[in-house]
Amino acid sequence: MLAIFTLFYLWPAFNTLVGSTFRWGLLNPWNIARPDDWDFVGLQNYVDTLSSARFWNAVLNTGLWLVVFPVMVTLVSMLVSILIWQTPRAGAAFRTVFILPMTISLAAAGVIWTFMYDPDFGVLTRFVEWAGIDFGVDWGPLHFQTSQWLSDPGVIDLGFSQIRLINLSLIVAGFWAFTGFGVITFTAGLTAVSEELVEAARVDGATARQVIRHILVPQLKGPVTIVGTISVIFALRTFDVVWVITQGGPAQDSEVLAVLLWKQAFVFLDSPQAGLATALAIIMSIVLIVGAWPYLRDLTREQR
Amino acid sequence: MRQSRPTTLLLYGALTPFSLLWLIPVMTAFMTSIRPLDEIRGGWWSFEGATFTLGNYVRAWDQGLSSFVLNSFVITLGSVAVTVATGALATYAFTHLSFRFKRLWFFLLITTMIVPIQLILIPLLPWFRTLGLDQGARQFIGIILVHTGFGAGWAVFMLSAFFRDVPKELLEAGQIDGASHWDQFRRIVLPLALPGIVSFAIIDFIFVWNDLLLALTLLQRDFQPIQVGLANLQSPHLAQQDLVSAGAILAILPPLGLFAALNRYYVRGLFAGGTKG
Repeated sequence: MLAIFTLFYLWPAFNTLVGSTFRWGLLNPWNIARPDDWDFVGLQNYVDTLSSARFWNAVLNTGLWLVVFPVMVTLVSMLVSILIWQTPRAGAAFRTVFILPMTISLAAAGVIWTFMYDPDFGVLTRFVEWAGIDFGVDWGPLHFQTSQWLSDPGVIDLGFSQIRLINLSLIVAGFWAFTGFGVITFTAGLTAVSEELVEAARVDGATARQVIRHILVPQLKGPVTIVGTISVIFALRTFDVVWVITQGGPAQDSEVLAVLLWKQAFVFLDSPQAGLATALAIIMSIVLIVGAWPYLRDLTREQR
Repeated sequence: MRQSRPTTLLLYGALTPFSLLWLIPVMTAFMTSIRPLDEIRGGWWSFEGATFTLGNYVRAWDQGLSSFVLNSFVITLGSVAVTVATGALATYAFTHLSFRFKRLWFFLLITTMIVPIQLILIPLLPWFRTLGLDQGARQFIGIILVHTGFGAGWAVFMLSAFFRDVPKELLEAGQIDGASHWDQFRRIVLPLALPGIVSFAIIDFIFVWNDLLLALTLLQRDFQPIQVGLANLQSPHLAQQDLVSAGAILAILPPLGLFAALNRYYVRGLFAGGTKG
């Protein structure tokens, strides 16, 4: 196991790290065994990446994912889990419904949501027409258009930049696919809340609000951290949904970091940008490891 | 908790429509896949003069999905087998033996759960060329080993939750009787941790089956799994929703079947990950 792990994880990761200081493309890949071909550029790949407008565009889109996606997943899955917890008899059936999309691949989820958003026969498009809420809004910095989910749903104008609402369409697809994880985690946390404790509190005259505040909220702190952390990781790594639905388009409106990286390495083969892509991979990995550091440390400490 | 009748009604009243809403996307894909394309244009929810057919599946299958499905099974079953076998041995080492740099190894393994796979993706292609894993069926070996390497963290992390539950006394008794580590692993730990191993195998199956990025990057056309086939079928410029939806349902079915059959193990595995993490 450790041998496979070293050959197919540590070694390539090391190559990425070292390779990110060279200029190369996949047509003529950087090779550690051929020093004659090396084109050493030091940290130039990082400088180029951090100063490119396209990188910051992808950062903005990924940033939207990072904020909206974890909040949506955590809030909705917590609410759903609490409701299900209160209905023990049909709980399993409801829970299955929400867990089910988790087994569906993100590629298939992407395909399914392009059907939902289809401008001709998508459920959402038709619903908007049927309900008569097919309209556009120009309200201060907000431009908003229902029914053009994937072509031009609108923007929020920040002056120096624009938040493009098409990302929200994609986030909803990811959210649908991922909420099951939150439901499972919160359910695990809620099962640990003892019935007797709640009953005892009731008998002592605790109001529903007090029960929630003093029993439920402390019990749910752990699950909130887990669901929050994992969904942040998911949001930063997101690729499949975006790739299948829009490939980062229209133009670069929904291009997230992972998609930009992939294009740099495997699409723009005529210009040697794989060095840039590896730099981007290193930046993403550092952000994630630093962000998840407390979590990582706790897990490692458990190991003795 | 016991509630009054109105509260219960309210709860069901909230959950039922919300669950139905949650099923609409799957329903959409399913209905699109069993009706002719021109009927779908009017919306899959209109049933006037509706015809149901398996024609879409037959055509999708004939247009090459069959080989994609086969590739998916080869890659997934291979990866799960190698990951579970090596993962169980490694977990035994991590939970019951002491060796050098154990914590460092564990830390490195756990990072796979956090870093993006893009960290290793780009050099893999030239690396495979060097190893001769970039041609023909050997590509399967390559991707299986990458799935094993990247799944190693999850394997050790999840399995150790179950391996640690094996009572120490049993192992000590075994040692007194002169059992080797291999005996202990095979006779004591493996049977007791079997439910955990099954849970992990299911989760790993779903994970590998659903992978798009690795397969898209590393494999040539004839060796790609269904997810890549699906991503390629999907194009905003082609009106072939009938084929795409049939492909999507085919891509969903195996993990879904596994989930339906072994729901209990799947949820328990994620539970273990959730509560311990």
